[in-house]
Amino acid sequence: MGRRFKKDKMKKILTLDTLYTILSFFASLVILGLIWEVVAIVTDRQIPGPASTWVVFKELIAEPFYDRGPNDKGIGNQLVSSIYRVFLGFGIGTLIAVPMGLMMGSSKAMMRLFNPIVQILRPVSPLAWFPLGLLAFQAAEGATVFIIAITSLWPTLINTSFGVATIPADHKNVGKAFGFSVWKYITKIMLPFALPHIITGLRLSIGVAWLVIVAGEMLSGGVGIGFFVWDSWNGLSLEKILIAILIIGTVGLLLDKIFNAIQQGFAWENK
Amino acid sequence: MVLTDHLSETVAETPINGKATINSIEVKDVTVSFKSKKGVYTAIKDINLSIKKGEIVSLIGHSGCGKSTLMNTISGMVTPTTGEVIANDNLVKGPGPDRGIVFQNYSLLPWLSVYKNIYEAVDSVLHSKTGEEKKQIVTDALAMVNLTPHKDKLPGQLSGGMKQRVAIARAFAISPKILLLDEPFGALDALTKGSMHIELLKLWNLDHRNKTIVMVTHDIEEAIFLSDRVVVMNNGPAATIKEIVDVPLPRPRNKKDIVHDPMYMEIHDRLLSLLFDKFSINDIH
Repeated sequence: MGRRFKKDKMKKILTLDTLYTILSFFASLVILGLIWEVVAIVTDRQIPGPASTWVVFKELIAEPFYDRGPNDKGIGNQLVSSIYRVFLGFGIGTLIAVPMGLMMGSSKAMMRLFNPIVQILRPVSPLAWFPLGLLAFQAAEGATVFIIAITSLWPTLINTSFGVATIPADHKNVGKAFGFSVWKYITKIMLPFALPHIITGLRLSIGVAWLVIVAGEMLSGGVGIGFFVWDSWNGLSLEKILIAILIIGTVGLLLDKIFNAIQQGFAWENK
Repeated sequence: MVLTDHLSETVAETPINGKATINSIEVKDVTVSFKSKKGVYTAIKDINLSIKKGEIVSLIGHSGCGKSTLMNTISGMVTPTTGEVIANDNLVKGPGPDRGIVFQNYSLLPWLSVYKNIYEAVDSVLHSKTGEEKKQIVTDALAMVNLTPHKDKLPGQLSGGMKQRVAIARAFAISPKILLLDEPFGALDALTKGSMHIELLKLWNLDHRNKTIVMVTHDIEEAIFLSDRVVVMNNGPAATIKEIVDVPLPRPRNKKDIVHDPMYMEIHDRLLSLLFDKFSINDIH
């Protein structure tokens, strides 16, 4: 009875809270639009305002997947190929970062051996990696995926190793006392404990990957949202650049929300 | 509430019979030192202790006296700096499945259900058994501690007493010859503690009192009610055994009646005077 009441009350508060969140979101969009409009007025419409951008946006969105040759593709095509590249690079990065992180977290010697390498390579800009990528893969496509992989793997690696390194002695003792095999230790103790940390790392990594894609595609050309920005600059369509910025931001937000949801799903502490 | 471990009628064998001469655990000249930043810290020094098969022995002493360290040398979690420990006729070189451990803070894996927590231990130790046999062992262990209805819960959803019952069921499930309990009931409230004592003795009886149990505690009543002998330790550092007090009270013991037994009172007094030097405000100078 009392529990039922509590549940109903919880539900009510939740909906009210959700309503405020939605309202705040729209208010936030209005503020952004106002700032944008002010900037447009101040720059004497050199930077187009929301209204004129909206007109161009409607044209773009009317036919998102057209394909008229290598340098003229719809905004949807550009976005899809960027997302594909991001996930390819992010996936490769993850395949390197997670095992490395598990290894570094579980052994002090490994940590001492590899941590300096991590610390040196981590702050390197994606642009600096690009020529190396070109050399190694002899193609712009490979180079773009390469720079995404190598710049986005660090958060996952560092978080994974941190997660594994902080496994409490209590959990380790269970493995020792009951003679867990290495495989059982990894699958039943190490991975479950480190999983929330790993997913936090993945969430940060996908953010970095999405940040890098624009720079990568500007250099590589071809097709993609980054190339679209550069192409619009050459075509002197500032509206398109602004649209691309908003799309990049929105997709980044969605990616973060998706990984946040995964994070919530795997957190055993909350159950 | 049942206050006695009344299943004693079924017991065929007692430690006093033929097997009394066989030592289950032998601690020989064990010293344990740790290296710390301030230098070498000796926790326990020159400890000698023999524990017979089927005996229940309590290690009692003040906080930091090294009683847990002594027990960890038996479990194999701590390697003696000098001396050696023999358990089940083998030199202890590390933790092994012949010695089941119940940790003070339960040490259940929070992401596994109650059932899975026991199953993974059984699967690891009794790997030669078939899947069906292992499942049966886990089911039996859960039934033994009356946790079958809670088998799919995560440890976080259980009370302290229930968690400790899972930990005890897990230790029993791998059927070790020696059971090591590190302050097993220290975090429980007094009422839960009382019923857990009975449950522990029930499990020990069901197994025909074959298991050797070593328990670390700082509770005098608990030590007397459960044990055949109480090992009193000096304060550390370099703690030694101060005295070993025999508890020849007949089993099964009744929690309510035992406290009126003159022998119980005598042992209780002896332990009190070994552990404390001040008994009233008049003793504080």
